[in-house]
This record gives sequence, structure tokens and C-alpha cells, in this order.
Amino acid sequence: MFVLTHEQINSASPVYEGAGGFVSFEGKVRNHANGRSVIRLEYEAYPEMAQTEGEKLIAEAIDQFGLLNVTVIHRVGVLEIGETAVLIQTAAPHRREAFAGCEWIIDQLKFRVPIWKKETYTDGDSGWVGADVFTPNEKLEKEFFQRQVNLGEIGSSGQEKLKKARVLLVGVGGLGAASLPYLVAGGVGTLGLVDFDQVELSNLHRQIIFVAQDVGRSKVERAATFATRLQPGVKIESHPVSLTASNVDSLVNSYDWIVDGTDSLSVKFLLNAACRRHGKVLISASIHKFEGHLLTVTPDGPCLNCLYPEIPKDHCIASCAETGVLGVTPGLLGILEANEVLKGILGYGELLSHDLLLVDLRTSETRRLQRLIIDGCSGCQGKYIQDMSDFEFSSLSHARQELGTFEIIDIRELDEDPTLTLPHRRIPLSQLDITSISGPILVVCATGTRSGKHVSSLRSQGIENVFSLNGGTKSLSDDA
Amino acid sequence: MIKVHIRYFAVLRDRSGVSSETIETSGMAVREIVDELIVNRSLGLSSSLIRIAVNGSFVDDQTLVNDGDEITLIPPVSGG
Repeated sequence: MFVLTHEQINSASPVYEGAGGFVSFEGKVRNHANGRSVIRLEYEAYPEMAQTEGEKLIAEAIDQFGLLNVTVIHRVGVLEIGETAVLIQTAAPHRREAFAGCEWIIDQLKFRVPIWKKETYTDGDSGWVGADVFTPNEKLEKEFFQRQVNLGEIGSSGQEKLKKARVLLVGVGGLGAASLPYLVAGGVGTLGLVDFDQVELSNLHRQIIFVAQDVGRSKVERAATFATRLQPGVKIESHPVSLTASNVDSLVNSYDWIVDGTDSLSVKFLLNAACRRHGKVLISASIHKFEGHLLTVTPDGPCLNCLYPEIPKDHCIASCAETGVLGVTPGLLGILEANEVLKGILGYGELLSHDLLLVDLRTSETRRLQRLIIDGCSGCQGKYIQDMSDFEFSSLSHARQELGTFEIIDIRELDEDPTLTLPHRRIPLSQLDITSISGPILVVCATGTRSGKHVSSLRSQGIENVFSLNGGTKSLSDDA
Repeated sequence: MIKVHIRYFAVLRDRSGVSSETIETSGMAVREIVDELIVNRSLGLSSSLIRIAVNGSFVDDQTLVNDGDEITLIPPVSGG
């Protein structure tokens, strides 16, 4: 509900069944602005447009944050100090969405809804005050992008191309958090964001679009807030999910340029194959400590599978969490990824579509290695072939050799004998919630059939670090 | 015997303990040289996961190396 009113605003706290979080925000008239004393405020709206834009804003907030109800009431006319100028109430299943949605609405309201305020100061002077930043309109957008439009390679036609572009950023981590600001500030019109994770304190040293207050909140949601504050004209499409074999096609097909910011090899190869199927361009980067590599996969150039015909397993190399990483490494590689996108859209220079770029931040050396198209490459044909041997072990010693340490979970029903003598947890398949368990897990059943099937299904949902023991409990007793 | 220069990247640099080295070899196919290094330098990755470039281009396994060639070993990298 969006209402413009001349009457005093009184907040109520209505009941919404199913809403565990209800946030009520009131914007008040204060007695000072920019160092001057204010005695009253006057709000004026362009009512028809404010109503339409306000309702649109609410619909977007409901959609983006999964809100159950939104109320926005904005005062117009003369207001005294202490009076409520705007009331925003959001109801959601949980508090996080309610807080995030409320904050997003007030930010957007100031950018987009045509309501102006006139401040009257104690010295009798008065003045109309604009919105906090700006309402995206043609004149202000022109000024925003002026310096890059001045480049002969871009011009106003290039800026229009950027505005029409649809870019998907998969993973808002170290790489994604570095490419995002340059894509948004550069004027990419629509940016899709995919990440299922929340911001953690240990992310902040390298994922510099986030601040300490974001910890525990959805990365996609906080990144969307960052982006719309930076460039209010950008349209952010939020996908707070894991990228899996079942959603990769619909996601990739809705965009023109795909940026890989993930730290998962299986996701990188899923994206690689999907981009080939749909004729999209994939920009892929990966980092290790002080090194990174970057490549762009075009529909007619070599693909990621040409480079690695056998899809490597994630556990064959350590992750950032294990080896450590300095912020500048993903920062630099993420910006280089953004540069590939901008190059591609604007057509300046040439894409890194035939070389692999290696960057070493210790020595400031870069090297380009020429890649080759491999005849009959499955990735080039759009196939993602997941080898069962990626996650199945023939024996316990094989698992130990490949994984080091891991936890054994016996998923047999409780009446199945014999009980394992090795350290393990017994959680019947029907009660197993693998997402709540961290670290490598070896799933065991009687013969390896149930565990193999279940692990394969988890993997297709993007859950890694789960493995199955071929032969089940039988091969355990052989090992012992 | 010929001399070739080996460059290691990412996890291979960690495991070999050096960024580069010069070795002597009897002019074998490049994959055989890499397979020897996997053992001698405890690189800890299967041969099929190490991509090889010679003098700046990826090459196939049977490519013969010449005196002074630079062989670059690229492991998978996944960090993001």
C-alpha cells in the first residue's frame, strides 16, 4: 500500500500471521540540516507519478525480499519539527528480510519517487532540497557517465549498449565483489547476482563492497543495496540460490554475458557447458594465493574443457579458506573480468578468447599462454560430464588417500546390521540434512547403491565435499 | 642431454617449493618429463590434471622438447 497524505501519520502495528519479523521505520523532521537550523519542512509531490512509482517500488520489494506486506505512507504539505514525514512498514517471515526490505525501500524512495522537500531555516531563508543522491534521469545519467563517454571508443552509442546489456555474475565473493562495482558504475543496465551464501566476517578483507554490519545477511541482497546506491539506474536481479545442473540453463539463457566469480570447479564447468549450449560468452577467473588466471570462453573459441579435458575434483587443490588469500589477488582478477565484459559489450580491444592469462602478484609478471581447441571436446559440445569417480571411492584406504580426514555417516535404517565399529555417525537417509554438516563426508550404506545415488543428487544441487563408498559396509569390513 | 626451463604455477609452486628451475633431460616427449617431475618433486596431482605449455603455447603430450625450451606446468585453480 502506498499513500500520500496531508494528515498526520499515526503508526499502528497490525498483525500478519506468518510474519515473524515486522519493521516499522519513521522518517522525522529534524531541527537542523547541513549546519543550519530548520524550523519546518514542506513536502511537495507530483502525485500521479509518485503514486505509480511508489506502487512499483513496493511490488519490487515484495518480490526481491519475499515480504508479506509493505505499507508506505508519505506526508505532503507543511510539517513541524518532530513530525513523521514518512512511515515504512515491512512484514516478512524472518527479521532479516523485514529489515533489509525496509532499508531498501527508503533508499529507493529517495532516488525514484518524485517528492521534494523545502526547508525553512531560523533566519527566515528557505530552499528546496533534492533527494539524497539523484533520481535517475537523462541529464544526471549523462553527467554520471560523462568521463567515459568522452572516450572515442565509447561515446553515447557505447553507453546505450551498456545500458541494454544483461550480465550475470555467479558468485559474489572476492572476484565478484571486485567486478560488481565496475560493471555497475560502468553503466551495465541489468545485472543478475547468484549466490546462496551470507556475508561472513572473514570475507570483509577481500570482499570490499560489504561492511561489518552486513555480516550474517544475504550476499546477494547486500550487493544489490550496494549497487543501487552506487548507480540508482541499475536494475539488479537477485538469485539467492546455488547454481546447479537444474537451474544453470534458465539462468545462463536469460543473460548475454556470464561472469564466473565462484570458487567451485564443478560450477565453473557447469557454466562452461551451459554457455556453449546457449551461445553465451563466459568470463572465468580463478585465484590461488598471489596468483590468478583468466580466460574468456566465446561460442567459437576454446573452452574451459579444452584446457582441462578431465574435470578436476574440487578437493584435488586447496580452497582459499585452507591456503589463505590476500584481498588484492581476487580484486585484480575481478576487475580484469569486468574489463572483459566491458570490452565485449563496447567492442574495444580484443577479448582474451584464445589465451589464458596468468598473473603473479608477487613479481608483477603476467604471461599469456595460447590455448587450443581440442577436437571432440565435450565442453565445446555443451556437455558437462560428471565422472562418478569424482565422488565414489572403492575402499576406505582409497578415501583416506584422496581426502585425508573425513567423517563417516552411515545412512542405513536403524534396524540394519551390523553396527559399524569405526568412528561414525548413524543418520538414516530419511533424516539426513547434509547441508548442516561441514567438512568432507563419506556416506556409507549397505552396498553403495543408496549412498551413490544420494551423493550424486546432492552434487547436482551444488553440494560438494560429499562422497560415497562403493560396496558399502561390506568394503569397510574388507578394509578392516 | 639438453637443458629445459621449468615453470611452476599455483599449487605446483607450493608443492615443488620453487617458481622455476632448469633441468637436464635426454629430449623426451614433454609429458614424460612432467611425469618424472610429478614423482621427483612430489607434485601430488595426477598427470592428466596438469596442463603443459611449451614456449607460451599449450601443446599435446607427445611434443618433443628442444634445448632451451620453457615448459610451463598449469594445475587447476579454483579460488574465487
